[in-house]
Amino acid sequence: MRKAKRPARDGRGVSGHRNAPQPQPRAPLLDRAALALYPPAWRARYRQEALDLLCDLGGGAASAASLAWRAVPAWLRPPRHLHGQAGRMRASLATALVAWSVLAGLGLVFDQLTQQQPVLPPGHAVIGWSYAIFDVAFAVSGLILAAGALPLWLLMLRRARRQRSGRDTVYLLMPALAPAGFLACLVILARFGRHPHGVGPWWFAALTLAGFAAAAAAAAGPALALRRLRPRGPAVRLAAITSAAAVATMLLASAASLVASAGLSLWARGFAAYHQAGPITIYLALVTAAGAVAAISTGRGARAALARPRGL
Amino acid sequence: MAEELDRWADPPLLVLASLADEPRHGYAIIQDVAQTMGVHLSAGTLYAVISRLEARGLIEPMAPTGRRRPYRITATGAEELAQQTERMRQVAHVACARLSARPGMAGA
Repeated sequence: MRKAKRPARDGRGVSGHRNAPQPQPRAPLLDRAALALYPPAWRARYRQEALDLLCDLGGGAASAASLAWRAVPAWLRPPRHLHGQAGRMRASLATALVAWSVLAGLGLVFDQLTQQQPVLPPGHAVIGWSYAIFDVAFAVSGLILAAGALPLWLLMLRRARRQRSGRDTVYLLMPALAPAGFLACLVILARFGRHPHGVGPWWFAALTLAGFAAAAAAAAGPALALRRLRPRGPAVRLAAITSAAAVATMLLASAASLVASAGLSLWARGFAAYHQAGPITIYLALVTAAGAVAAISTGRGARAALARPRGL
Repeated sequence: MAEELDRWADPPLLVLASLADEPRHGYAIIQDVAQTMGVHLSAGTLYAVISRLEARGLIEPMAPTGRRRPYRITATGAEELAQQTERMRQVAHVACARLSARPGMAGA
């Protein structure tokens, strides 16, 4: 192989070794933002190196963009050496939990805008069946997730109490605290935000945003506790497998909601605003994105859970 | 493994080739590949390749020198690189032989 003709800049040799460490300037926001897109395990391993490289390359939007673009495969196919088997399950569980919560939140919005309306549109068999499938799959998904995650939740709660970690205890209680906060919002709305024909549109938008914030907080709490407490063993494996089943049933519920939405736009034209393409397009995009993330994460977690144990 | 390496296209081979003679860190790999092989690797491509090669045990990180962490090729990586370059050499040999047999390309 032909050697490089000139040494690298900054006084380094061909191999680029520096003679002495130099103080590290703060990396530009763009570079840090690009690296923030990577999975936590990737960042823990490569972030500083990549920041140093960007600094050497002189930064710039192109370098940051190349790193940002490569964050997608780092999420879809995370390098296995960065995680042990338990670590892969934990990372997948955390991601799947957040994605499942988004899907559940979208499902609740769908339910509120369709089945919970005071006046129902003229029915069609497809819409009716879709509603029924949605209701059953939504409930079953929640039950599977709760049943599968309960042993892991109890394990982490015991560990948090043993370590006297108030922060982890709060994280683990977020699935109860966040909905309680949301219910408090509902009470405030019921008192001050009444509209002659129900809830006003602005209040409904605010309520929806508050609901998604509560769902995100409820999912983020256990996800952070998973990262900090690093549980392992059969409880993690059970949660990884059951979360895949919960996501599969939630995807069935989401598919049923999409069929019902399409049915409403076809067979209930002129009733309410079901014929408008905008809302259903946004709903479809959000369901597809969250569903893809949930399916990929739980698939990865279930594969790790079903693989032969290595160093659990 | 050879088929898998093929699917990664060129950058992994370029990085392995860059590390074949001595350890290098990221910036030095980019410089070396650009100067000796005429290919510019972006930062995103480089770290995607490094993480994959490291996961497959073809390269390994060394202790950091200053703020930078050099990488070196492993014995498995060197063997893989040798197999790939042999395949490339065979393909190049056949291609050159057949091109030179074409009318008007005797000098190819």
